[in-house]
Amino acid sequence: MDLLLTDEEKMVVASAREFLDGECPTSLVRKMETDPLGYPPALWNKCAELGWVGMCLPEEYGGQALPLVYLGLVLQEVGRAVAPIPLLSTVVTAQTIAKSGTKQQCQALLPGVIEGKTVLTWAFTERDPRFLPETVETRAVTNGDDFVINGTKMFVDNFAAAQYCLVACRTGDRTATGEGLSLFLVATSSAGISHTPLTTVAKDKQSEVIFNNVHVPKENLIGRLNEGWATTEELLDLSTVLVCAQMLGAARKDAEMAFEYAKLREAFGQPIGAFQSIQHTCADMIIWIDGGELLTYEALWKMDRGLLASVEVSQAKAFCNERCEAVVRNSQCIHGGIGFMMEFDLHLWFRRVSSWTMRLGTTYEHRARVARALLDVPGLVVLGAPLPVATAA
Amino acid sequence: MDFGYSPEQQKLRQEVAAFIRTHVTEEVLAELDGHENKGPARDSGTTRDRRGPLVSQLFKKIGERGWLGYGYPKEYGGQGGDRIGQYIIEEEFLRVGIPIGLAGSGAPAIMAAGTEEQKRYFLPKLISGEFSFALGFTEPHAGADLAALRCRAIRDGDYYIINGQKMYTTSAHVSTHVYLMVRTNPDVPKHDGISIFIFPMDTPGITVRPLWTIQSDPKAPRGTTYGDARSNEVFFDDVRVHKTTLLGEENQGWRVGSMGLNLDRVGASRYLRSVRRDEDIVNWIKQNRFGAYSPASDPAIRDKIAELWIEAQVCRLMTMRSMSIVEHGGNFTYEGSAEKVWAPEHGVKTTEAITQMLGPYAQLLNGSPFAIEKGIFAHNVMGAFQSGINHGSVQIMRDQVARRGLALPSPRRARTTAK
Repeated sequence: MDLLLTDEEKMVVASAREFLDGECPTSLVRKMETDPLGYPPALWNKCAELGWVGMCLPEEYGGQALPLVYLGLVLQEVGRAVAPIPLLSTVVTAQTIAKSGTKQQCQALLPGVIEGKTVLTWAFTERDPRFLPETVETRAVTNGDDFVINGTKMFVDNFAAAQYCLVACRTGDRTATGEGLSLFLVATSSAGISHTPLTTVAKDKQSEVIFNNVHVPKENLIGRLNEGWATTEELLDLSTVLVCAQMLGAARKDAEMAFEYAKLREAFGQPIGAFQSIQHTCADMIIWIDGGELLTYEALWKMDRGLLASVEVSQAKAFCNERCEAVVRNSQCIHGGIGFMMEFDLHLWFRRVSSWTMRLGTTYEHRARVARALLDVPGLVVLGAPLPVATAA
Repeated sequence: MDFGYSPEQQKLRQEVAAFIRTHVTEEVLAELDGHENKGPARDSGTTRDRRGPLVSQLFKKIGERGWLGYGYPKEYGGQGGDRIGQYIIEEEFLRVGIPIGLAGSGAPAIMAAGTEEQKRYFLPKLISGEFSFALGFTEPHAGADLAALRCRAIRDGDYYIINGQKMYTTSAHVSTHVYLMVRTNPDVPKHDGISIFIFPMDTPGITVRPLWTIQSDPKAPRGTTYGDARSNEVFFDDVRVHKTTLLGEENQGWRVGSMGLNLDRVGASRYLRSVRRDEDIVNWIKQNRFGAYSPASDPAIRDKIAELWIEAQVCRLMTMRSMSIVEHGGNFTYEGSAEKVWAPEHGVKTTEAITQMLGPYAQLLNGSPFAIEKGIFAHNVMGAFQSGINHGSVQIMRDQVARRGLALPSPRRARTTAK
C-alpha cells in the first residue's frame, strides 16, 4: 500500500509533459479543431516513436508490455495538453485485439499500430446511447466467406483518421445478457461505408457511420461468434477509465490556470485569490481532482492485476463526470468574462472536459452499475473489501 | 502506486478478524455498552474505571498479541511495526466498536517533540491504556482561532503557574493527564507565544465541570459517530507545574501542536467515523423492507446510495494517501487538510441522505419502539456535523488547502497580539 507515484511513474509523467509542452502549443490545438483529419501526423508519429501506442501491448509485436497505470499517466498528460491525437481510440482498440484476437490477427495489425502507421477506432453506440448489449441493432449476416454488415453507429471517434474500426454487431437474437453480439474489424475504406462528421462541444472528430451491405472477411471476426459482449465490456471499461485519466489531466491544468489567475487579478485592492470565497472554491477544486485521480488509478491498478474492476471504473467515471465538470466551470467563473472569450485559451480545456463527461457513460448509468453491485447481490458489504460477487450468472 | 495490501498485511488482517470473532463475544460487547464511556480503561485511581472485567481481560489478550501500539517503536512499548499494519489492527477493532488506537491521544506529538524521558515515560502507558490525555485546546474565546487562546502560564523559578479555562475538553473527567495549550508570552504575535504542557489531572487547582451533549439522551448506541454523552469545561486556578512538563520548547507550542494534530488526524478512527453509516445503510436496505416497499428497488435511493458509496471510496483513498505520506516521512502540504474537508462533509451528507431514505423511522432514538438499529441513524443526525467542527473546522481546513497547497495569498487582516 503506497499511493504515491514511484520514481519510474514520476519520470513517465515528467517526460510526457516536457514533450507535449514543446510539441503541442495551443495554436496547434486550435488548428486541428477545423482540420478534416483532426490530428497532425508529424506529432502522432513522434508519439509513436516515444512508445506511447505500444506502451501496454505485447513485446512480440513491438510493444513494451508495461502496466496500464503508465498508459493512464500518459493520457493524463495528453489531456493536460489537450493534445489532438487519436491515442485513446487507437490504444483501446489495440489492447482489445491483443487480448481477444488470434495470433495472426495481432501479427497482421499490431506492429503497424505500434509504429503509428495505423490508427484505430471502435464503434458500439447506436441511437440509444446507453452502454447495454440490447442497444445494438447493427446486424452482421454470413454470406459465403464474408459477413455482411448493415446498420448505423454513432459517436465514433476519429473515423476519418482511422484505417480500421472494431464494430459491435448483432449476430444472434437481441438479449439483455449480451449473447448474440460479435466484434468485427472493419477497414474504414470498405465499400458501403459512409460517415457524417458531428459538430461537438469539444470540436473533436466524432462521426455517425452508416454500414450499407459492407462485406467483411470471416477472418476479421475478433473473439468468438455471439460471445462479443464480454470483450466489449472490457473495451468499454478500459476506454472509460482512460478517458477519466485524460479528463483529470485536462481538469487539473484548467484548475491551475484559475489558481494562477486568482493570484494576479486584483479587485477591491487585493488579489481575488486572497478572498476566502475564492480560496474555498479553489480548495474544493483540487480536492475533487485528487479524489477522481485516486479512484481512477485504483481501477487501473486492479486491471493490471487481472482483478475485476468494473465497479471501480464506474466509481471513477461517475465521480469525474460531476466533479471535473464542476472544476472547469468554477475555473471559468474565477476567470470572469475573459474565460468566455474565444481568443483566451481557457475554453480549450473547458469544452473538452465538458464533452468527455458526456461520453462513455453518464453519471446515472455508472451509479446504476455501482448500485447493482451493492444492492442486487446477496451478502454484506464492507468498504475497502471486494463487493460480493453473484455466483450464478 | 500500489493500492494493495502485502501478503503479510493481509495475513495480519485475517488474524485480527479471527481474534475478534473468538474473543469479542456478545458478553464483552454488552459490558462495553453498559459502561458510559466506551474504550480502553482510563483508570488512574482518581477517576472512574472505564473498563469492566471482561474488557480488561480482552485488552490483556490484545496486548499479548502485540497489537497495542503496533506502529510505535519497541523501546517505547510499541511493536516497531509499520503504519499500515497499525491501521489494519485499528480498523478491525473499530468496526466492532472498540477503539484501540492512539488517535487523538497526543502520542504522535510526543513522538515528534518529546524529550527522551517524556517518550519513555508516557508512550508505553498511553499504549497500554494506563494513561490517557484530555486535550486542552479550545477556550470560550478561542475556537477556530485557536491561537488567540488566553489560558496563561507564568514562569516561577523551576515552575509555571497556570490560570485560565478550557472548553469542550471531552475526556477530562476520565483522563489521567491534560495535554494543555497555553500562552507563555503575550507580547509577541499570537502564534509565537504558545506552549504545551502535559501534567496529571489530579494536580491541585483543576476543576472539571460537565457539559452534556445533545447526542446521547437517551444513550447513543455503540458505533455512533461521536456519541459521547459528556464533554467538560476545565478551570485552572494557580495550577503549579514543573518546567519538565513542557512538551517541546517554550513558545514553540503552536508548531508542536499543529504537527501533532496533522498526524493525529491520519488513521482508521477519523476515516471510519466518516464512512461507517455508508456500510450500515447499504446492508440495512439490502435486508429490510417497509411492508411491501423495498427501498433497495427505489431508483432514487439506488442512485443516491451509489453516489454516497463512491464518495466513501474517496474518503478511504484519501486516508490511504495520508498513510502513504506518513510512511514517506510525513511531509504534508495540504493532503491532510483535504482529507479533513472531504471525509467529515461526506459523513454529514450520508447521515442526512439516510434520513430521507428512512423517512420518519430515522427520527427514532435508542430504546424507542420501531427504532432502526437501536436508533443509530437518529443519534448520528445530532452529532455527525461535529466532524466538520472539531480538530480544525472544514473552513479552516479549506484555508489551509488554499494557502499551503495552492499558495494563494493570505487575506488582509489586522495582525494582533493576544493579551
